[in-house]
Amino acid sequence: MAIIHPIQNIVAFGDGLVIFAVIKNVILAYKRQDTGSYKLIGKWTDQYDRTESIKDKVTKEQDRQIDENAKKQKDNEGNVVIQKKKTEAKIPVPGPGAPPVYSCIRNLLISKDGHKLLSCADSDKSVLVFDIDLNNDTNCLQLVKRQPFPKRPNSITITDDGKTVIMADKFGDVYSIPTDGEPLKDINDELDPILGHVSMLTDVLFKVDSHGKKFIITTDRDEHIKVSHFPQSFIVDKWLFGHSQFLSSICSPLWKSEWLFSAGGDDFIYLWDWESGKKLSEFKYSDIIKPYLTEKHLAPSRFQNESNDIIEYAVSKIVAFSGIPYIAFFVEATNILFIVKIDVENKKISESNTLELPYNIISLNTANDNEVIVSLDNRDSNGENFVKFVKYNSQSCIFEINEQKTKELDACFDTLKNDSNITVEKENIFPLYSTTTLRKHGEHYS
Amino acid sequence: RAHSNPFSDHQLEYPSCPEDMDWSKLYPAFKDEHTGEMTKEVTIADIGCGFGGLMIDLSPAFPEQLILGMEIRVQVTNYVEDRIIALRSNHAKEQTYQNINVLRGNAMKFLPNFFHKAQLSKMFFCFPDPHFKQRKHKARIVTNTLLSEYAYVLKEGGIIYTITDVEDLHNWMVKHLDEHPLFERLSKEWEENDKCVNIMTNATEEGKKVARKQGDKFVACFKRLPNPEII
Repeated sequence: MAIIHPIQNIVAFGDGLVIFAVIKNVILAYKRQDTGSYKLIGKWTDQYDRTESIKDKVTKEQDRQIDENAKKQKDNEGNVVIQKKKTEAKIPVPGPGAPPVYSCIRNLLISKDGHKLLSCADSDKSVLVFDIDLNNDTNCLQLVKRQPFPKRPNSITITDDGKTVIMADKFGDVYSIPTDGEPLKDINDELDPILGHVSMLTDVLFKVDSHGKKFIITTDRDEHIKVSHFPQSFIVDKWLFGHSQFLSSICSPLWKSEWLFSAGGDDFIYLWDWESGKKLSEFKYSDIIKPYLTEKHLAPSRFQNESNDIIEYAVSKIVAFSGIPYIAFFVEATNILFIVKIDVENKKISESNTLELPYNIISLNTANDNEVIVSLDNRDSNGENFVKFVKYNSQSCIFEINEQKTKELDACFDTLKNDSNITVEKENIFPLYSTTTLRKHGEHYS
Repeated sequence: RAHSNPFSDHQLEYPSCPEDMDWSKLYPAFKDEHTGEMTKEVTIADIGCGFGGLMIDLSPAFPEQLILGMEIRVQVTNYVEDRIIALRSNHAKEQTYQNINVLRGNAMKFLPNFFHKAQLSKMFFCFPDPHFKQRKHKARIVTNTLLSEYAYVLKEGGIIYTITDVEDLHNWMVKHLDEHPLFERLSKEWEENDKCVNIMTNATEEGKKVARKQGDKFVACFKRLPNPEII
């Protein structure tokens, strides 16, 4: 039986008034009504058809091979005829048993002024820029720019003025493009990366320091956090050294702009002063999470040992609450949300809380001052528990789930169950757990 | 093996940061016995040092500087290690060749793990892998994004030396270095008067091979400019 696909990513803005959610290759926009219920006010589906670009690629490659073969023939016979055989390029079709191709949408980011939504589409490896018009209740999302790139965008950020998107790709390059204007046709010829790593990039942040200078912070699969100037991105300011495994996520809190939290495949959350380059504190989360790890965290068989007990886990996402000195993070394929208090005066990561959710967490984002929003892998839930708002209750000083909002959102998503773009057979759910695959297994290679 | 993919996850050893690097193992003669500290730090790096010919000729030319060769191919690195051990023991009396050594590493990924900001005064790129195919150009050792990292480890006035027998690659390296705001090309005249250019052109195994085949050698040297004012 088809179910509504779990929500891959969700962001909220304006005190949770408006939320954007990604399901498969669809972005949905909801607005809270005076009654408290949510109403669908926008929807955008990625309808990009890959066949054309694949055909282009195949034709190009075929032309290249024909040229190459023609040259060879010339060499053999010593400057005689150049023969070129040209046939119609065939588009390769995946045979039976080939892994399925997912048209995921990844990353959701709202500009500071709330006028723009940024995202990335895997289908043509593009950055998407939408105008948000909340007065347009029929569809508040207008796609204003779609810029394809040569390699898949992994993470995006936007400058404070909302004019420039900075994108970090799977190949290690970082590009900057204006949010408006016509997209470039052939990015390879027209645009150079502004900075790069020789490693897959996992996260990117735009920051302004206490002197008003602008920076880009990038993280990669090789334990590196690099701080570069912007727009003079050819000047590397520093590296923040300390992680012993790949990085997956960084965040910098509004309440302490010179601070940076980082997490990934090792056992620690690090707190840095990215302006001075000093490591201020670390927090070991591995002991707390271990009881919650399951057979899903066993290392892949080719990296496994004889007793089959190597476990691998990684923090998938780390975010800071905007109005209170807390950060939240989760380990991939667990249902535990860590909420850690920060002792701002002593620059320390102090006490931590864990909150058990009904299903594994898939995405995590800041919702407002004292609230975060998570989406859950609710494939076994019978259409409930898509998302949870987790709020700090200042009276009881604990974090709790906002059940009211959760119910309203569940009711909202339930209306999608007849939309074939949104529903899926359970076995065809998109890959939701990909962070641990970033782990390097250097010991298995010479 | 002639090639090694700089993008793959090799089993590499590298320090977690420059402060964690134990240089005394590579240059024991430069360790202060009383303090246990190194008396010098590496200032010359030969990236992709191959069989080590350049270092061996640079060693007597710069006796007061530590010279490090980095090489990604395991067997080649082992060969250079053995070669340096032999040189050192053959010259035990004179105590020469103490200032050079080699380590296996991926300079494209981990250079900043070894060297702190502005540590180096010279970097050599001698006969690098040309990576002819267009889609492999990111694997080239000189790209606009990597140059920013080389600029980070080089001090102001530090020099990047390049030499290749592949004209296309030479043009590529010159183009990217020319375009980079932190580098400026040095003149032919400067090249003629620089002893390193002379050593680099004649000393390396690749250089000798090209000379035997009477091939061309293309040289380009660039100076690290001061950082412009941060805007």
